[in-house]
Amino acid sequence: MMTRLLILITSAAVALGAAGALAPRLAAAQVQLQPAQPAAGQPQPAQVQPAQPGLQNPTLQPAPGERAPRVTVLKRAPHSDRIESNGKGMALLFWAFALVTIGGALFVVTRRNLIAAVMGMVGSFMGIAAVYMMLYASFLSVIQMLVYAGAIMVLFVFVIMILNRPEDEPVAPSGRAGQILGGAAMLYLVGRLVMTLINVQAPESALAPPAPVTVPGTAIQHEWGSVKAVGTDLFGPGLFPFEAISILLLVAVVGAIAIARPLHEDPEPEGDAGAAP
Amino acid sequence: MSNILFDVGYEHFLVLAAVLFLIGVGGVLVRRNALIILMSVELMLNAANMTVLTFARMWGDISGHTFALMVIAVAAAEASVGLAIVVAVFRGRRNVDVDRLTTLRH
Repeated sequence: MMTRLLILITSAAVALGAAGALAPRLAAAQVQLQPAQPAAGQPQPAQVQPAQPGLQNPTLQPAPGERAPRVTVLKRAPHSDRIESNGKGMALLFWAFALVTIGGALFVVTRRNLIAAVMGMVGSFMGIAAVYMMLYASFLSVIQMLVYAGAIMVLFVFVIMILNRPEDEPVAPSGRAGQILGGAAMLYLVGRLVMTLINVQAPESALAPPAPVTVPGTAIQHEWGSVKAVGTDLFGPGLFPFEAISILLLVAVVGAIAIARPLHEDPEPEGDAGAAP
Repeated sequence: MSNILFDVGYEHFLVLAAVLFLIGVGGVLVRRNALIILMSVELMLNAANMTVLTFARMWGDISGHTFALMVIAVAAAEASVGLAIVVAVFRGRRNVDVDRLTTLRH
């Protein structure tokens, strides 16, 4: 009980901490976009400079003849390199979220208690949502938390309570040969994954802010991974999948009710069918 | 060693997704409870989602986010139907051990 509570609170705190740590970075990327709109002639939007101590930021001064962009000036933290840094702090944060994700996943496949497995799954989903935030997929991250951790896992808990068997039998034991073969295969797999990490050099940091998304046919730009950017693609080129998925969800709802309905019907009273209209 | 730790590149996200996928496959193969198997399938779907989002970020293509949204919706639909099947099976057999689901009649 205490372990479950601890896991749930830790994962929620980690996910919220990630959102809090990344919010200034996303806000800075938003601030960077504002001066780009009135000045279409400039070759490139101004890069976000390391902030000076104090509130005056020279890159936000308008060019002569231009109106000042309406921008909220952020109060930068004293350690200015931490706000937009792609450096060691964010990298260690990635490892922390990766550990939470992998730990939750291992919890799912090893626990006997089904409710403990569900709690591990929720923690894993929160870790995955935090990793999505690091990929600048902010809309998908929130959708992941709402739909996966918030709806699908609640559905699982409902069904576990309906079945009323929160304990599972232990896994089927395998022979000694199977265990040795499985262990060797796992070691080989883990070794190959680690060698992939060591040998592949990152040409650029994956934690740098990505370029904004342009609405096709216009000059409007939206922040990468924001609701507007995903909506631009969803209601543009992705319109057919969007409509098709609504039909799929209708079919799923009807199918789930049809499958889970009890087989016996209530006996209907005779004679009502022949009543005069 | 320090460049693996501190220079987080796209391969870190891809390896994380691969490890998550493998844990999901292990859960499907090893566990006998149908609900744990369904949860492992959800793990695999999330790993695929993470891969799609990483490549979308790598190539600057926002349609990857739309694809991932569709995957989440399909996973929700599949989870609900799968759980309905588990409930229906349980009603007849009083257990959800997939190793015992070898015949159509009980």
